[in-house]
Parts: sequence; structure tokens; C-alpha cells
Amino acid sequence: MILIGIIVALIGATSFTNFGWQFFSFHWDPPQNQWGIGVFLVGSFLTAVPALIFSMLIGIGIAVASTTYLPEYLTRWLDPFVDLLAGIPSVVYGIWAFVIVAPIFGATIEPWLVGNVYFIPGFGPPIRSDGLGILISIFILTLMALPITTLLIRDALRSVPKDLWESGLALGATRWEVVRRVAIPHGRRGIFSAAFLGFGRAFGETVAVAMVLGAATNLPKNVYDTGNTVAAQMFELLDSAIGGTGSPQFLAALAEMGLVLLAISLVVNILGRRLIASLYTEQVQGL
Amino acid sequence: MSDAAPTPHEPPILNVQGLSVLAKDRKILDNVTLDFPGHSLTAVVGPSGCGKTTFVRTLNRMVELTPGLRVTGKVNYAGQNIYAREVNPVMVRRRIGMVFQRPTVFPMSIFENAAFGLRLVHESEDVIDRAVTESLVRAGLWDEVKTDLDRSALSLSGGQQQRLCIARALAVNPKVLLLDEPTSALDPAATQRVEQTMERLKQEIVLVLVTHNVSQAARVSDRVAFLHTGHLIEVGATADILERPKNPLTEQFITGRFG
Amino acid sequence: MNVTGTVAPEGRSLLYDRSARTRWRLGFDRWIGRLLPLLFLVAILPILSLVYYISAKAVPTLSWTVLTSTSPYRTDALGVPIIGTFEVMTVATLLAVLFGLFGGIATAEFLSDRVAGWVRMSANLLVGTPSIILGYFGYFTFVLYFGWGLSFIAGVFTLSFFMTPYIFRTADLAFTSVPRHIREAALGSGAKPAQYILRIGTPIAFPQILTGIFLAMAIGVGETAPIVLTTTPGVLAPHSIYSPVTFLTQLIWENFAQAPSTGLQTLAFQAAFLLMVTVIILNVVVRLISNRFRKRLEGLYQ
Repeated sequence: MILIGIIVALIGATSFTNFGWQFFSFHWDPPQNQWGIGVFLVGSFLTAVPALIFSMLIGIGIAVASTTYLPEYLTRWLDPFVDLLAGIPSVVYGIWAFVIVAPIFGATIEPWLVGNVYFIPGFGPPIRSDGLGILISIFILTLMALPITTLLIRDALRSVPKDLWESGLALGATRWEVVRRVAIPHGRRGIFSAAFLGFGRAFGETVAVAMVLGAATNLPKNVYDTGNTVAAQMFELLDSAIGGTGSPQFLAALAEMGLVLLAISLVVNILGRRLIASLYTEQVQGL
Repeated sequence: MSDAAPTPHEPPILNVQGLSVLAKDRKILDNVTLDFPGHSLTAVVGPSGCGKTTFVRTLNRMVELTPGLRVTGKVNYAGQNIYAREVNPVMVRRRIGMVFQRPTVFPMSIFENAAFGLRLVHESEDVIDRAVTESLVRAGLWDEVKTDLDRSALSLSGGQQQRLCIARALAVNPKVLLLDEPTSALDPAATQRVEQTMERLKQEIVLVLVTHNVSQAARVSDRVAFLHTGHLIEVGATADILERPKNPLTEQFITGRFG
Repeated sequence: MNVTGTVAPEGRSLLYDRSARTRWRLGFDRWIGRLLPLLFLVAILPILSLVYYISAKAVPTLSWTVLTSTSPYRTDALGVPIIGTFEVMTVATLLAVLFGLFGGIATAEFLSDRVAGWVRMSANLLVGTPSIILGYFGYFTFVLYFGWGLSFIAGVFTLSFFMTPYIFRTADLAFTSVPRHIREAALGSGAKPAQYILRIGTPIAFPQILTGIFLAMAIGVGETAPIVLTTTPGVLAPHSIYSPVTFLTQLIWENFAQAPSTGLQTLAFQAAFLLMVTVIILNVVVRLISNRFRKRLEGLYQ
């Protein structure tokens, strides 16, 4: 039926981005003369990977707190609160970040960092006074990926059979020990899928990043510098391209970016979903 | 309430005094007082809902995991009330182990399962080695797994897994072992193995067995305690209880009238 | 009964078995139990800050006229974007519901398992793809290829593509989780699949589907990229399917990122405020529905 439209859409997307197979250069040059998207790939990873790490760590913490340490009357409303983070539209995040958070970063956080942890590579001067850049992008992306990671990890922990949990406690383990040595190994798959899907989210986020990263075409020199990600760059270019400037190279580069973005997205998503699926079937079979 | 101890008189290492467990609207256990003499197996029987599982869970403070329950009375281990304020449940559970209804092996190797409790306190490797071997022998599982202890515990059969759970609990050398219907999920052959293990173990430590199966109680236990709607109706030597029950409720239960 | 005379076979009692290591273990557990819950703040503070600030910046300047006047939007009125958003959302939701419901029900009831697996996978992937990819696709397909230009209809279709997978998934899930015995009872007593779907499946699955629709709406109303790339901001309310239209998110983007001057900033904040409120309300509604009907459904699973 019409559901085939869904499949077609997906395939259609891939075929359309095949507009340009030529320029596969990954030179780290600004895409003025040479259409290397390396700059943006770096930007994408530089923002998405730390965001993933942070959101995983915080997500695990929250999930453990929610399932193990906090009483039910608290988690009942705390959990949905975290899930609400996912509902806020990216633009709203963007505005908030731009107007409220960036100044804080620029005036307080970044100077503090430069002053105190400058020895860590990438954390040295110079900084920008407006607070935009990589660091704040990581912050925002962490917030956006957090609901996903927390939800999935929470589900993974909840799926541990009550007996198993109690067996751990009955052996004289503290709650933390049971979590660390029994629950987390048991929920391994859920945790991995959380990582993959969270990464997918952070990697593909467009609008918020576009507003906060600075839309530059250079390689960021340090954590406070601006740069751009594949997604954001595509968005900005397209937005202005709609006006009409369309050299074939331009469009081809755009297509190529789209292809890369799509490819990475798909891979990450497929892996993540596979893990969830296998976890689910295992549960159903009563393992 | 009689409580003749069948074995040579040793002071009981575990006993319960006036134990009550209250939920919001009802009493799950009402004023239970009971001794568990050393080196014996006491079977706790009764119809479903009589509180026997709750009872056994008070013995190692696992009952605290259920929200909304209040425990009053005393459970004395080696002369001390385990519910005393200064006592931490984690400590209690090392001395009083528990095996559950369904085999609950951890997703690790057989060795690591057995070693779990010892690893928590960071025992040295040789201590762990010895303890694992010993506990597997005591649980009657050694011969079947000694060839490959690094196999995943999940590859064992149900009965073997349950015996691994027993071994795991034994590895930290508890003096009391609680078993909550440990064979109800097992087939007859596996059940027999576990019962054999229990019969061996009862000569070393105190076992408390919750079972709904009266014939099982007859087979392995030295004493039987009969619970009914939270009250301890009768307790005594197995033979006495099963053949000459003093209380009519007891007799009804044993002859299968209810439960 | 020998209570006071119990002897400890081991030389130690419970109370004094506090070796350093044990004390450390217990202490660690206690501290982690206090620290970890604080992490919740990491999630909660930003939300609160966000809601607070946007409200603070927007509410003082809001007034009835601002909301309803339909003067050219670039100045000071939200009337046009609101109408535009409303119209786009309505049509897009309708489309998405159409595609999603049909697809979802068909997958749950009619397709073979193999094909169903593929379709579900592509739906799931669609959910996960970044919005610009879909926007890009929408641009190429609807704006260029179909020749519709940057228009209302292009935006609507693109957005509905975005929303459909969510409704699809919900419908699929809702129908597959109808308890087997009910389904078998219905079909077994001679009902045609269509009848079963209409009379039995739908009432059961309804709350879930409704949740899914609201969820999709919450997501759709907040999307920027698909709209920006397929429509162009219009000065008046859209009057034909090819006309320009203004969407709230688009407004924010245009006003803000492109030309952050204070006058337009206010407008952007107002729009953001409206958006935020809408999304929060939708989310709350979703939660209420799912909670209330879950209780009702519990009776089914006997």
C-alpha cells in the first residue's frame, strides 16, 4: 500500500544524493577552491564524540540513581522531566544557548578553563568573548542526546530480572556493587545501543549547532574556537543556495555531504536498533 | 508450640523472637518465635500466602527491599539482633546466604559466579581458588564442571545452575543458608540432586527450606514449621509433625486438604 | 527455648566485623547514593533555565494584538506565522496520519514477517535520520523535481514525511500488541480482517495511536530544517497550495541566526515561547493519555 512510500523515500534519498560522486576529496581545505569536507567532518566528530561521552556518563548516573537509589515517588516525576529534554525543538535550544548560555561561557566558564586547565591540549588560549564555539556546542549536544541515553540505559537496567538483582544483594553486595557487577553486564546491549543512538542524535543535529558553533569554515584551533559540522554546514549552504546560486560543483559538494551524513547516520542507527532488537527478543524468550 | 530438637543439644545459632511483619493494612507475619538449632534442616511449610517466603526473607533482611513493610521483633544470629540499628544488612547477608526459586546465575563464567562474593572483599587469588573449589564440591557440582570452570554459567542446565547458586552462596562461608523453594523450577532428576546436596549440607550448617511440597519436607528435613496466615501454628521434629500433628490445621494441610 | 544462651561459633559478632575494606564499601555505596541523584540536576536545571528565560523575554511583550494581527510578519505580529504554522501542521498531520495509519496497520496485520521486518527497519531509520537530510530530500524532490517551488505544499509534504514514521511505528506497535486471544477470537468467529480492524482493533489501539499522533505533532511543530528548505517565508497568510508560508520555527531561524538585531529578536523570542508552550502541552497531553488508558487496558490482559 502506501506504506511503500516509506521505503521509497529512503531509497529515493540515497539515489538523489548520488548527484555527485566525483569530489571525494577529504582535504582539509576550506571549501572555497577545493571542496573538501574534511573540515566539517572534523567539526562533526569533535562536537559529537565528547557530547556522546558526557551524555553517556551522565545518563548512566541518572539511570542508576533512578533505578537503584531513589524511591519511586521521586522517580515517578523526575524521569519524565528528563524525557522532556527531548521534546524541546532544536531552534528553541539554539536561542536559549545563544542568548543565555553563550555569555556565561564567554564571560565565566571559558576564562576559568583557560586559566586553570590550559595545560590540557586544546584548552589553551585564545578564547572568544562571545562564548560560541566547540565547547558550547558540546554542551548543547550533550543535553540533546541525554534523554535518549538515559531512557535506553534506564530500560536496560530495569530489564534485569528481580531475582538476579536480589541474588547479588543476598551475597552481601552493596547496591553499587550489584549495579556494577551484575546489572550493567546484564544490560550491556542496552547500554551500547544507547551509545549508538545517542551518537546518531548528536552527529545529526543541525539547527542548534548551526546557531551556536559559529558557522566558520576553518578548523577549530582549540576548544573555544568556532568551526562547523557537516550537518550545520549543509543546512546553511542549502539555505542560501535556495536563493539560486547553483554551480554544479556546489550542488555536488552538497550532495556528497548529504551522502556522508546519511551513511554515518544509517550505520549508527542500524547498529543501535539491532542491539535493542536482540535484547528484546532475548527477554521475550525468557532468558 | 513444641520445639524438640532432634540432634544433640547445641544452642541455636539462629532464632526468631516475636517477629511480626506489617504491611499497610494487614499483618503478614504475626508474632513468630522459633529456634533453628545448629546443623539441621528446618522446613517451613504452609499454604500459599501464609507468609513463608516473607518469613524467610526476614532472616537475612531481604524483606527490607519491599517498600511499605514494617518489621518488629528480633532475629538473633549468634546472640545479636540483626535488626539492631548498628547492624548493616550487607554484613548480615554474608553470614546468612540465600538461594532463590529460579536459578539466578550471573552472566559470567562458572568460576566467577562462585567467586563473586569473595571478589567483593578483594580476597587474594589463592583464597578464592580454594574457596571456589570447596564450595563447588559442597554443592555437589564439582565433578560436573571441574573440567572447564571458565565456561559461561549460562551454558549449564537448570539443575546445575541452581547448584551453582548454592555454591556461590556457600563460597562466603555462611553459617546459615536460606532456600526459597529451590526446586520448584526444576525437573525431578535435578530436584533429586539438589535434595541430596541439602542433605549433605545440613550436617555442616543450618538450612532453612521453604517448600510447598510436603513430601520434600518429609524427605530432607529434621524439623518442620507450619505457618498459616502469618501465624506459626506448630513446629517440631519432622516425624512428629507429619505423623502426629497436634493442631488440626496442621493435619489438614499435611493431608492435602488445602494449600 | 533458649534465647539468651546462644553462642557465637565464630569468634566475632556481626557488630564488630567492620574491617577497613567493608567500611569503605559501605561508605562508597552511601556516597554514590547521594551523588548520583544530583545528576538529575544536570538535566533539570537547563530545562528550567530555558523555560524561565524564554518566558521572561517573551511574556512581557505579548499581547492579544501581537498574536492575532496579520500584518506582514516581519514587523511585529505573529498572526501570520501562527496561521501558517497551524495550516501546515494540520495538513501535514493529516497526511502523516493517512500514510502512517495505513502503513502501520497494514504492516501489523497483513504483511509477511519478512517484508514487515524490512518496512519496520526503514521506518525506524527514517526516524533516526537527521532533519536536514530529509529537508534536503524534500527540497530536491518536491521543490525541484516536482517543480512545486518553495511552497506550502512542498513544506507540507516534507514535514509529513518526517512525521509519518512516528505514527507508523505507533500504529504498528499498537496493533501488534493487541492480545493474541482477542485477535484470534475475533478472526476465528468469522470476522473479516477489515471488520476486525475497525471494530475491535481500533478501539483497543486508539489511545496508543492518539499518543503517537500527538507525539508526531510535537516533533513536527518543532522542526526547522525541513521547512526552511522547502518553503519561503510569506508575508501574508497562505492562500493557495503554491504560496509562501511562514512557520514558527522558520521565523525564529530567519530572524535570529540570519540577522540578530534586537527588534526582530523580540519576535523570535515570542515565537520561541509559543513553540515551547505548545510542545510542552503536547508532551504533557501525551503522558496523560498514555497513563490513563494504560490502566484501562490492564483489564484486557487477563
